[in-house]
Amino acid sequence: MAKVVVIGAGFAGHTAALYLGSKIGRKHEVTVISNRDVFGYVPSWVWVGVGHMKPEKTVFKLKPVYDKMNVKFVHAAAKEIHPDAGDQYVLGNEVGTDKEVRLDYDYLVVAPGPLLNFAGTPGLGPENGFTHSICSLPHAIKTRDAYLALCDRMGKGEKVKIVIGTGHPGATCQGAAFEYIVNVHKDLVKKGLRDKADILWLSNEPAMGDFGVNGVQIKRNGHVIKSKEFLTSVFNDHGIRYQVQTGVTKIEEGKIHWQNYEGEEGTTDFDFSMLIPQFKGQPFKYIDKNGEDITSKLTNPAGFLLVDGKYGLPYPELAQTPEAWPAQYQNPTYKNMFAAGIAFAPPGPISKPFTNKNNLAIAPAPPRTGMVSGVIGRVVALNIVDLIEKGEMTHREPMTDMVAACIASMGDSLWDGNAVVIVMHPVVPDRKKFPNEFGRDLFTSHLEMGVSGAWMKFMLHHTFIWKFKARPGWTIIPE
Amino acid sequence: MNTSQEFSKAEKFWMNFKLYQLWRFIVLNVKILIAVYQSKRS
Repeated sequence: MAKVVVIGAGFAGHTAALYLGSKIGRKHEVTVISNRDVFGYVPSWVWVGVGHMKPEKTVFKLKPVYDKMNVKFVHAAAKEIHPDAGDQYVLGNEVGTDKEVRLDYDYLVVAPGPLLNFAGTPGLGPENGFTHSICSLPHAIKTRDAYLALCDRMGKGEKVKIVIGTGHPGATCQGAAFEYIVNVHKDLVKKGLRDKADILWLSNEPAMGDFGVNGVQIKRNGHVIKSKEFLTSVFNDHGIRYQVQTGVTKIEEGKIHWQNYEGEEGTTDFDFSMLIPQFKGQPFKYIDKNGEDITSKLTNPAGFLLVDGKYGLPYPELAQTPEAWPAQYQNPTYKNMFAAGIAFAPPGPISKPFTNKNNLAIAPAPPRTGMVSGVIGRVVALNIVDLIEKGEMTHREPMTDMVAACIASMGDSLWDGNAVVIVMHPVVPDRKKFPNEFGRDLFTSHLEMGVSGAWMKFMLHHTFIWKFKARPGWTIIPE
Repeated sequence: MNTSQEFSKAEKFWMNFKLYQLWRFIVLNVKILIAVYQSKRS
């Protein structure tokens, strides 16, 4: 009987656990270790952050789902991985008791989600800083409370400054910040308070609508439409000011310090700010059989696990080398160890990186959340099933093949709500497979705004919660 | 989208015209399914 351990129960880890449980859970031992005992549907935390959705509607208990799927659940925070053959195990501390737990494994999936590196920007974040975040449910709740208090002030006639975007020169997940800013706009319009707020988009993207993926391009009625023009139109239409090519370097109370591409240093005042932090790998230690810490040999400097990608290529070469992107997310040193979701080290950025004259790198990291995480979780799980049952892997899905959809809602009403729908295929441009300027399939890629997007967002919330609860038919719903 | 980078009145009309949006909803779902199929879902 093989033992499979999955660290983490987010989009990647939970998806992997469901596939592993359904395929081999009866014959083999599948265990999930997570420091949270609930699954959180992250995309809907945007709505929590403006008070449009109750927090409890975005989470559900993991254990009943795992019981149904023949998966064991250990509510503990992993702290060490011992990967050497003969004695492979994960060490963690049980949540609540702090008791040490040990999980032996034959196959390991590392999918713990990101470490929200608020410390990477002095003054950033809701705990030790002055800004807000929607990257965790407690943060989204705190953001909601601060936002509603701000609305009260506006209701009394006060004019305020709202800044939303990225809080680190290397931050990713601009899509979440974009969705939050347009939801705030829509909510203020509905409350009759929009004229009381000056709203600014502050981002490290090289251009509007870049999203860390070199923008999105589609072909419609014979014309190429780019996300840069499209998103600029959205912001112009909504009266949202924007400032891109900007890396936030420090936050003080009511003041954001930044540098831009030109190397200029400046400040922006705010009354309320939601800025996405840099994402790093979780601070596990990888310990070899001699007790030596080998973490730096297995991870990149940001703490993400190295997998089957080609690392170290300069950006111009990487942009022309789609095969540099990993396809099976398998660690090259320890072949029974896989990384899923944001935990894997990308071979480099998707968007063109930039370093200003002050040597500050302003470059969005590649997004690996949501749909990408789920797909990788599935591929990794199916390959582990392959290895156990056939001895060889048969599944591959690099980000140069992968499709990803991002629905940025503006309000949650199905009648007068709205959303920008972005579908990119592939996520990482492949100029060999799609020999156009953008390296993407311009037919299946999609960029549109309308009420249908609000329907799509509503449908996704419910179908994905259905899927993640492993209800009947869950496997036919794409990740 | 017009060249002044603002949505035109016609574009805003179509964004809220429910019958057209139903068509776009169907198109979007079909596109996602095609793209998922093409991305070697296995």
